[in-house]
Amino acid sequence: MRLARIPTVLLVLGLTLAGPARAEENNGDPFEPFNRAVFAFNRVVDGLVLKPASELYGLTVPGPAKTAVANLLDTLRAPVVFINDLLQGERERAGITLSRFMINGTLGFFGLFDMAAEFGYVRHREDFGQTLAVHGVGEGPYLVLPLLGPSNPRDAIGLLVDSFLFDPMGYLASTRARTLRTATSAVVTRYELGPSLDELERTSLDFYAALRSVYRQRRQAEIRNGAPPSDAGYEDIFDETFDDMLSEDAPAVE
Amino acid sequence: MKPSTTCCPKTPLPWNEPAVGGRWSRRSLLLTAGTLPVAAVALPALAARSQEAAVFIRRMVDRALEILSRTDRSREARIAELERLLEEATDLDLIAKLVLGAYWRKATPEQRRRYLQLFRKMIRRQIAANISRYDGQRIEIVGSRDIDDRDIMVRTLVYDSKRDAPYRIDWRVRHSDGRFLIIDVVGEGVSLLITKRKEFGEIVSAKGIEGLLTAMARKIEGNDDPPRARS
Repeated sequence: MRLARIPTVLLVLGLTLAGPARAEENNGDPFEPFNRAVFAFNRVVDGLVLKPASELYGLTVPGPAKTAVANLLDTLRAPVVFINDLLQGERERAGITLSRFMINGTLGFFGLFDMAAEFGYVRHREDFGQTLAVHGVGEGPYLVLPLLGPSNPRDAIGLLVDSFLFDPMGYLASTRARTLRTATSAVVTRYELGPSLDELERTSLDFYAALRSVYRQRRQAEIRNGAPPSDAGYEDIFDETFDDMLSEDAPAVE
Repeated sequence: MKPSTTCCPKTPLPWNEPAVGGRWSRRSLLLTAGTLPVAAVALPALAARSQEAAVFIRRMVDRALEILSRTDRSREARIAELERLLEEATDLDLIAKLVLGAYWRKATPEQRRRYLQLFRKMIRRQIAANISRYDGQRIEIVGSRDIDDRDIMVRTLVYDSKRDAPYRIDWRVRHSDGRFLIIDVVGEGVSLLITKRKEFGEIVSAKGIEGLLTAMARKIEGNDDPPRARS
């Protein structure tokens, strides 16, 4: 299932990399019409498959079981996180990931329980897109990938590398097991993002533009490992002055 | 995007770490409304302003949670109280202007007035739509940090019984004329201000300021009937 998508992804990447490398104009989204079309397609698929599945998951699976599923997915993901911790030179975080894997894989009944958190090893995530970013690779133009959603060339390449190079399940597990895991992961992720996505859709005038901004900001935050927005662009906003608003033509606000 | 070395420290800032005299003070960690006077006296003069900002956020958050949890009162009364709190705690005009950015200067006085009105209305609709969603979440103040001579960032963690891990909300607070006002809310690294700014900017660049105002008015009408919810 995932294999079949590679040619498409590569084709899209080829297209985009051939396009303008840095596009500050167009909101960094030179392929917006194409992206909006894919976005619309994704929302149809989401409404038909993923959203109902995630709602069913939310309604039928009891809370502790949801936690166990999330923990299991997290444990399966640990090798990829560990490799990327190392590639980013984050030895302490790599140690945490390794400890979590060892503890949860044994005391945590094959990852069903997050015992490591009790020992103070709190979960974090990394991926190869973030690793590339840490080493200075820019995100490039915004891309909405079919079924996979918001991305960019850097993160799409990261996803390919994580899935097919770094993930031991790619070598060890059967296709069925991998498909099951991918499907579960998709449903769980959709379930966890559900309230935030609904809220964003409800409050936005342009869901596409809002989600694009949220995706970028989330990625930046993940790359900075949770540090608050500190990029120059954010601070610049607050340096803006509206002296003119103090003048007499400023609207009186009741 | 620049590499992280200059602008964005890759290691977590000290607010994730035990207090060791970093830029972030964690003294306010245990502040609750009840201990405010004591704590305010006991706090060191060092970083006094960021401490005050943390106290301000604690107080505003407690008041909001108090209003939200009073389910014995009518929905309308609670909405009205939240709106009053919103006016008192945030600089809505400044937020609205920062969201519009450079387009503010291009807008006519009449457009500006309508824009500010619509912006307020949109926020109010959101409050009304969200009021029934409160579900006993707890908010803990983690620390606060001076950003520059005007702004302070206060970090909080929200504990939600439905989620396994708490999530971060950072409050950007502006200190001016001796008082504090919230000017941005950053959830898990996503700034509400930036999100709105990008979104509104896209609409204005495509359809002009009038197009934005029309879209806002339409949105407000669409949300006109917020879920009456559960009763």
